[in-house]
Amino acid sequence: MSALKKKMFTIAVFVLCISLVMAGCGNKNSDSSKGSASPSASQSSAATGNGEGGASELKPYKITLVYPGDTPKDLQEVQSAISEYLTEKINATIELKPIDWGSWLEKTNLMFASKEKFDIVISAATLGYYSNVAKGAYLPLDDLIAQHGRDIQGVLGDEILSGLKVKGQIYGTPTNKEFAGANGFLFNKALVDKYNIDLNQINTLEDLEPVLRMIKEKEPGITPLFEGNNRFVGSLVLNGQYDGLGDGFGVLNRNSDALTVIDKTEVPEYLEVAKIAHRWYKDGLINKDAATVKDWGLMQAGKAFAVQQELKPGKDAEMSTAWGFPVVQKQLDVPYTTTVTVAGIMLALSKTSENPERAMMFLNLLYSDKKLINMLDFGIENKHFVKKSDTAIDYPEGVDAKTVGYRNEAWMFGNQMNTYLFPNEDPNKWNAFSEFNKQAEKSIALGFAWDSEPVKNEVAAITNVSKQFEDAIISGSVDPEVYIPKYREALKAAGLDKVIAEKQKQLDEWAKNK
Amino acid sequence: MNATTNAALPSSQSSPKRIRENSSVAQFLIHVFFVLACAACLIPLILVAIVSLTDERSILANGYSFFPEKFSLDAYRYLLGDAQRLLNAYGISILVTVVGTVTSLLISSLLAYPLSRKDFPQRNLLAFFVFFTILFNGGLVPWYLVYTNLFHIKDTLFALLVPNLLMNGFYILIMRTFFTTSIPGSLIESAQIDGAGEWRTFFRIVLPLSLPVLATIGLFTTLGYWNDWFNSLVFIYDNRLISLQYLMTKTLLSIQFLQSNTQNSNVGKLLTEMPTETVRMAMAIIGIGPIVLAYPFFQKYLVKGLTVGAVKG
Repeated sequence: MSALKKKMFTIAVFVLCISLVMAGCGNKNSDSSKGSASPSASQSSAATGNGEGGASELKPYKITLVYPGDTPKDLQEVQSAISEYLTEKINATIELKPIDWGSWLEKTNLMFASKEKFDIVISAATLGYYSNVAKGAYLPLDDLIAQHGRDIQGVLGDEILSGLKVKGQIYGTPTNKEFAGANGFLFNKALVDKYNIDLNQINTLEDLEPVLRMIKEKEPGITPLFEGNNRFVGSLVLNGQYDGLGDGFGVLNRNSDALTVIDKTEVPEYLEVAKIAHRWYKDGLINKDAATVKDWGLMQAGKAFAVQQELKPGKDAEMSTAWGFPVVQKQLDVPYTTTVTVAGIMLALSKTSENPERAMMFLNLLYSDKKLINMLDFGIENKHFVKKSDTAIDYPEGVDAKTVGYRNEAWMFGNQMNTYLFPNEDPNKWNAFSEFNKQAEKSIALGFAWDSEPVKNEVAAITNVSKQFEDAIISGSVDPEVYIPKYREALKAAGLDKVIAEKQKQLDEWAKNK
Repeated sequence: MNATTNAALPSSQSSPKRIRENSSVAQFLIHVFFVLACAACLIPLILVAIVSLTDERSILANGYSFFPEKFSLDAYRYLLGDAQRLLNAYGISILVTVVGTVTSLLISSLLAYPLSRKDFPQRNLLAFFVFFTILFNGGLVPWYLVYTNLFHIKDTLFALLVPNLLMNGFYILIMRTFFTTSIPGSLIESAQIDGAGEWRTFFRIVLPLSLPVLATIGLFTTLGYWNDWFNSLVFIYDNRLISLQYLMTKTLLSIQFLQSNTQNSNVGKLLTEMPTETVRMAMAIIGIGPIVLAYPFFQKYLVKGLTVGAVKG
């Protein structure tokens, strides 16, 4: 009895000690956050009062920008150069915080979870935009854009911005880039030239077939069509024919005006393209490991003639540089704008930002100020790049893409059409982008964001089924007449009907409130 | 090995020799088994080494091969071109491993020793706390919060030393068992009678007698520190502070991540800028580095240490 009491006493003392320690730290924390909250409140009131007018009247503030990428050697140097420039403009300094792609999701999730203080963060549909909005990690931007981000609105246009709305609010400003996807093929230029192939004559898969057969016959060491890594003959239809409405399970037919969610395996085109793919596969026009390859394999090695690819203007130049030999592109369909292509990459404000007004002013500058965006993308003039003309730059002598001390991905930030171009890029690239955007057909469901939460078990099951069948079918590795019915059955068993019904319900809801 | 079995075969007439023959057949089989097991461990390593020395284009065209078409030192040249980053990461890894292992051993033994003493008050309660942490922990986010918001060790070397690695309940229980079973209570008693204080008893008598367990736990923690990349991933933003293993892991993780995000056409381009297959293999070879040397050093104690507490009672 007394032994028990003694034990209880010790435990009680221990618990008390721990709670004291914790309470101490807790107090300290809340104190410090209180302390930092009050000046920021006064800052923000000052900021709203003055608008964008005088930079000197704004209190100094450090904006933290978190983005994925490698840490370059001269980060500090560029950071202070940008800070100097920003101090002039909006009396702010900047902290650049690159995070490796590999640890991006872990690190940012922990930053959100621990309520770490930072201002601007990269987001995208594929980087958890919708889940982070649902978690409340981002700030709604409508008012901020109206107050401090008029240039953003001017550059992007309302249609694009509202494509990102979640429950009536915008949570991110997309990079001004291509807002549509088009599908087609990349061809090895050496072979195109050798056989005088007129790419303009290739407008359908039927047009492509004789060319592939000719290559197979005349170039024994070359695979006519390389497939792998989500680049299949069938991707043409999957990406070009439908709006995948998020995850691609339950889709909209692009050519229909009805907001009706359908099962893609029941559309005749799906079977058609799979049949073509299978014929090509059987005839040896496609590499045998098509369904399992996870890289650019033979194409990158220069041992293949063509590869299916999602295209934008200048994609061929980009891949030529990356692979080290020239390729040319041919687009087979009209570009298509969907929620996913609009939400491709954007900048969001963190809920923990202490001065969202200033962060928005900075975003506004990214869309309007040419000098700032180029500094952020390419570093300091005459050190990291030299100007060749008003719009073109090159690396300084003795430096190349691998050895340069600073370089960011231009497609990640703000108004990409204000950025300089390298000599290997088309000088008219940005015009071509605008043209491409204008040309694009907009999905009737543009702006609809699919929330898979209510049916997440079904979606997980369907994802597994699709892994098992999809690549094999659309790459042509198996006979579609046999496997598409099997695939459909498996999808149904996994609960596709329920997912489609839920999607339809959300879509109708969205259409009502649009 | 074949030579010895062959030599044993001809002289197998009398019965004792037959036994020897039997045993030598068994010996032969055992040897074959272990040669195969050994090969199963070594061949992948050799393949990695060969791939790291292969020309990139021949890998793209033919896949991995033990007999590549064309050898090339490009991968190593590429890595040495960025030698500073590599050396820096090496330095961090070695520093963290040495400091971490020594501190960890000291703290662990200082906790395990009192737990092994029967005259230590409330030792069961304390042991329960140790035991409890083996079974339960707070989960990733609270764990992260404690280290970043309470201890503020984010982006410092402490982040590589302290979390998860400094103390492991399981190691402490192993040590305690060793202390209780291998160090006779009478020895400690006699030391006390001779006038040794607790510290002297611990450092001069107990620790020297516990080399096997220290070496075993030491090896485990050394490996733990050397192979740890998760703490770098979670806590470190400064490129100068990342460990060698993370330097390599992050390349792999980035490639994996980019591959699963190929809908974004820009990401597809990034993928082609990642280090090539051969470079990754060369990194693995370089990463094996000094840790291989640690094995023979610890091996002598390893078996002894692992059977600690197994038979004695």
